[in-house]
Amino acid sequence: MPAEIIDGRKVAEEIRGELRQRVEKLKGKGVTPGLIAILIGEDPASLSYLRGIAKGCEAVGIFTDTVKLPENVTQEELERKIEELNKDPKCHGIILQLPLPKHLDTLRAESAVSPDKDVDGTNPVNTGKLLLGEETFFPSTPYGVQELLIRSGHSPDGKHVVICGRSNIVGKPLMGILVQKQKTANATVTVCHTGTKDMPSITKQADILVAAMGKAKAITADMVKEGAIVMDVGVNQIEDPENPGKFKLVGDVDFEAVKEKAGAITPVPGGTGPVTSALLVANTVKAAEKLLGS
Amino acid sequence: MPGNILDGRKLSTEIREELKGRVAKLKEKGITPGLAGILVGEDPGSASYIGLKEKASGELGINSQMVRLPQDIKEDDLLKEIERLNKDAGVHGIFIQLPMPAHLDENKALTTVLSEKDVDGFHPVNVGKAWMGQEAFLPATPIGIWEMLVRYGYSKLKGKEVVIVNVDNLVGKPLASILAQEKVGANVTLCQPSTPNLATYTRRADVVVVAVDKPKFLTADMVKEGVIAVDFGSNWIDDPTTKTGKRTVGDIDFEPVKEKAEAITPVPGGLGPMTVTMLLFNTVTAAERQAGG
Repeated sequence: MPAEIIDGRKVAEEIRGELRQRVEKLKGKGVTPGLIAILIGEDPASLSYLRGIAKGCEAVGIFTDTVKLPENVTQEELERKIEELNKDPKCHGIILQLPLPKHLDTLRAESAVSPDKDVDGTNPVNTGKLLLGEETFFPSTPYGVQELLIRSGHSPDGKHVVICGRSNIVGKPLMGILVQKQKTANATVTVCHTGTKDMPSITKQADILVAAMGKAKAITADMVKEGAIVMDVGVNQIEDPENPGKFKLVGDVDFEAVKEKAGAITPVPGGTGPVTSALLVANTVKAAEKLLGS
Repeated sequence: MPGNILDGRKLSTEIREELKGRVAKLKEKGITPGLAGILVGEDPGSASYIGLKEKASGELGINSQMVRLPQDIKEDDLLKEIERLNKDAGVHGIFIQLPMPAHLDENKALTTVLSEKDVDGFHPVNVGKAWMGQEAFLPATPIGIWEMLVRYGYSKLKGKEVVIVNVDNLVGKPLASILAQEKVGANVTLCQPSTPNLATYTRRADVVVVAVDKPKFLTADMVKEGVIAVDFGSNWIDDPTTKTGKRTVGDIDFEPVKEKAEAITPVPGGLGPMTVTMLLFNTVTAAERQAGG
């Protein structure tokens, strides 16, 4: 029996519906949440990503803007700009668009973003709080995986989650989120080295399998246990076999084959991606609420 | 063939000898490493533990300053005391002996310690940096386990399976923080003590680490031949053959697991002796970093 397709767009719309109400309440108190991105240079992929984020902000009625800095900006100038935004009352959330040019120190820049406005959850203080199980901002991609699991009725509680890929933006924080002793987590979590020879022997154990290696079709049907929940975080551009010369987006999972075996699966596009963007906005709304409450 | 015994006492002595050398080098530059500890109240267990840390510091030539504060101290006064130690250039490492009395906010105290002096590795900045693979201080137990694996030649873990039965902030999570990094490259599984069918995980493990404080929790049928078994449990059980009628054991059913293991830590004499040593290790490292390498 083919798998249930987990509809990320629907869940994202549900989240945005909730956010609209929270934004209305904030506006009633005279506060419009604001999300401001810092972009260095003119990378087209980053520009297109930020356009998507801006659309998501407009959809729930929050303020958004992008601060563009030249490619040759110095560390001091960048940190001064971050400091300005830290103090700017219109700005509740700051996105530092990565990767930064090589001459800049990413960790120092991330650490300069106020932990209270760090809606990407990349300031080490917030990473630490995440791991310690304290109140913080979760990076939106791993947060999206957790929310999508819960809202589609596949709670990780008591399940074995195998995460393929150990990046600082997905694999590691997701492990930190899902091992917490909380109802929305409480999983047994394995994080896999992508170079492992017998990876199938590990992935086949998974009740919930998360693909985050950044490699098209890396998870094949023989690597998946019958009935497993498969969450695909990958976004890869490959040549479209049906339209030579054209490209299409695929995930890290061999979707057509795996969907025949999995219990549920997220498509790419339309799976974890839309939820991720909705949650970045949710973090901004939360930041505005916290500021108002304090 | 029974497994190698991972001898924490021997290793601890070896590491302390090395630390003496590092302390001597710092002293040549006019720097004496300093460790400060804060104890609130008079819990006898905590008082004796802080005494051990004080004595060991002295043996290595590290200055120690143990601040004993009254049980009913106000939070503001505690924080002021931490601030004072933060500013004291002769203090390179600060730890707060836990648990603290209930009226004090542990979290607030721990985050007041300057992250550069946080030799217990409890400050969120250190936890976060360690998780991201950046230079940071990690708690004594996980770095003690790592040093043990390195020094006994069991640290080549690329693609190996490590199963940790403990998800706490002191052991499981920071140990995963070391072992899941790209440069170590292990496949790390964090198991809850309540994980269903736990044996299916532990039987796959090349390295198994347990810290659940239940005697004989990990039995021989739960491990594979050739496993490296690490025990951070501590249980005080009845034993009529001893003078006191009691003795300390770990979480591993030691004798039978030893027969199957490639290597195993005993309890006592395994990780226990390593913890104070690794705190001093962090203190000397802190002094070196603050001196600029």
